[in-house]
Amino acid sequence: MWQLISNEWKYYLRSRLLFWVSVGFAAVLVLTAILGQYQSQTQAYKYANATDHLRGQWESIESMNPHSAAHYGTYLFKPGGMLNGLDDGITTVTGNVLRVEGHVQNEIVYSEASQVKSVSRFGKLRSALLLQYILPLLLIFLAFVSMSNEKESGRLRLLLIQGAKPSSIIFAKALSAWLYGLALLLLVFGAYFLLNIASVNAITVTRSLFFFTSYALYYFVICGLTVYLSARWQNATLALTSMLAIWILWTIFLPSMLISYAEAAYPLPSRDQFKTAMKEDRSKGIDGHNPSDARNKELQDKVLAEYGVDSLSQLPINFDGLRMQADEEYGNIVWDKHFGNIRGIITEQKRLTQMAGLLNPFLSLRNASMGFAGSDNVHHHDFLLQAENYRRVFIKALNDKHAFGGSKTGDWGWKADNAFFKSVPKFEFQSKSTGTVLNAYAVDLVLLLLWAGLTLVLMLTSTRNMKTI
Amino acid sequence: MIQIDNVSKSFRSNVALQDLSLQVNKGEILGLLGANGAGKTTTINLLLGFVTPDKGSLRINDLDVLNSINEVRQHVGYIPENVNLYGYLSGLENLDYFCRLAGMKYSRAELSGFLDTSGLAKQAHDQRVSGYSKGMRQKVGIAIAYAKKATVFLLDEPASGLDPLASNELSLILRKLADEGAAILMASHDIFRVREVCDRIGILRNGQLIQELSGSEVTANELEQLYLKFMKS
Repeated sequence: MWQLISNEWKYYLRSRLLFWVSVGFAAVLVLTAILGQYQSQTQAYKYANATDHLRGQWESIESMNPHSAAHYGTYLFKPGGMLNGLDDGITTVTGNVLRVEGHVQNEIVYSEASQVKSVSRFGKLRSALLLQYILPLLLIFLAFVSMSNEKESGRLRLLLIQGAKPSSIIFAKALSAWLYGLALLLLVFGAYFLLNIASVNAITVTRSLFFFTSYALYYFVICGLTVYLSARWQNATLALTSMLAIWILWTIFLPSMLISYAEAAYPLPSRDQFKTAMKEDRSKGIDGHNPSDARNKELQDKVLAEYGVDSLSQLPINFDGLRMQADEEYGNIVWDKHFGNIRGIITEQKRLTQMAGLLNPFLSLRNASMGFAGSDNVHHHDFLLQAENYRRVFIKALNDKHAFGGSKTGDWGWKADNAFFKSVPKFEFQSKSTGTVLNAYAVDLVLLLLWAGLTLVLMLTSTRNMKTI
Repeated sequence: MIQIDNVSKSFRSNVALQDLSLQVNKGEILGLLGANGAGKTTTINLLLGFVTPDKGSLRINDLDVLNSINEVRQHVGYIPENVNLYGYLSGLENLDYFCRLAGMKYSRAELSGFLDTSGLAKQAHDQRVSGYSKGMRQKVGIAIAYAKKATVFLLDEPASGLDPLASNELSLILRKLADEGAAILMASHDIFRVREVCDRIGILRNGQLIQELSGSEVTANELEQLYLKFMKS
């Protein structure tokens, strides 16, 4: 087997065309990895700067009414993982900046796609694009002649007469092309890791291993199937045509069809429907700025009873802070309900697209790639959830200060001091654990493994049916 | 030794071989003459185990081809009409590669020796095969079989397309191999070459061996007349 693989590699290295194509493609891959790393690092740097700046502004507030500060709010920036530079997944369209303020849960804004110039709307050149679409094509072009050439030239007979087993020949051809794919993949990883050496830790290494494994399995499927078809069909043209048809089906038609089906099976409400429903439910709660509201009266009576007083002016606290917090808490319930509903639908859509990997390993690769890179919907929603949880802590701290800081009801001119603003906690984003991510994308890895197993079986059967003449 | 007994083979409705029996002993060269479709290549394919017979038995060095194909192939050297080697390897590298596949490791000097024996000029040993002529590739093919220590050689139109000099060199090499004890079966159209190099000549027509004669019994002209007579009848 080693002899056969070594001979294939001699061809890869000695064929001038292939050599220069490989050098050119490797250069593009490395350049793309460098650009990806530069872009994610620049963005991370900008976000870190903006976060520090905003926190600096917040901590420099000498004195301000807590509720005014709640309207002043702050901004949270979605952090990108180290592997974002390789696969930016859905982050270009989901937005990265979230304004946190009282009374309202804002939408995340400033997606990259909404800011780019029209000429760049085709999307950025990321390593994932090359690794998912172009490299498999290169592997197909490399492997489609591997067996048919041997058959057509009559060399296959010579190989068999010299004692090479048909299965060894087929596996060696597939493994050689696969190793070529892995070499280019390793080159991308090597370059990217060198550039990110400061960010490399156990988590990024573990995620990278799964990321790498997903691509390795997919490339095995591509190489194995191409060699299988090359052995199965009588000529190379037929092998190339069949494999290109599979590539088009897997990467262009099936993803669109299957994702459309998932969207139809589990439809998301439109933005307008979502906002209208949220507004309607929110209107049923306490209006934090309307003292004459009936539900406000109910809360007021309860608080007065608790403190054993008859009027708001007799309260030792500021009832406005309690009312606004009650408004927030009702708003939180509404948000949980609607956002939870959206999350539920997206989870079902994800489940369906993951199962579609049974028909299309490309979908499994794409899911796993985004997942392990941390640029998928799971990570995005995790950020939204953590940001909303922080918003609740942030606003509650301000409302509590307004209520219990020493002011009386109606005293909107009362101001908290600088020490209070400094004490308000910062937003600390907790990355999802590798175990959680692995749990979310184990299905995709298992399906890629299944496809690799199926490819092995096909290759084995092709040795039985392989015609030498 | 090659032994074929009552072998028949059909491809769908086309009868390729009909009750073919022949034997090639050690040190002997048997030439199979016949028109296209006469069954020459099918005979070789049967002996190589690429085709299974409908009936009859094939044996090489007393090994049954059907049941022990892997062992049989260890004894066989095969030289097709076009020896297609790997163009990106030199003659020496090609020989080394095919030898290693057969489980044989030789030193550079030994490999060079095999190429010398097959008649390939020294300066061509390290040149890439993509620049070789057909005759040069045939010689590497012979070297591969020779280095494998094959005792049975199966040649399918080996002289086709070779210039007279290369063809003559091939004849000399085959004679040398036979003298060393190899059993050689050569399928060919080339009456004159077959007459020159073969100890025995068989004429195949429609899958049947219709005539078998000794190479020394006939002149080239007589063989041509005989061949034409059979082909026309």
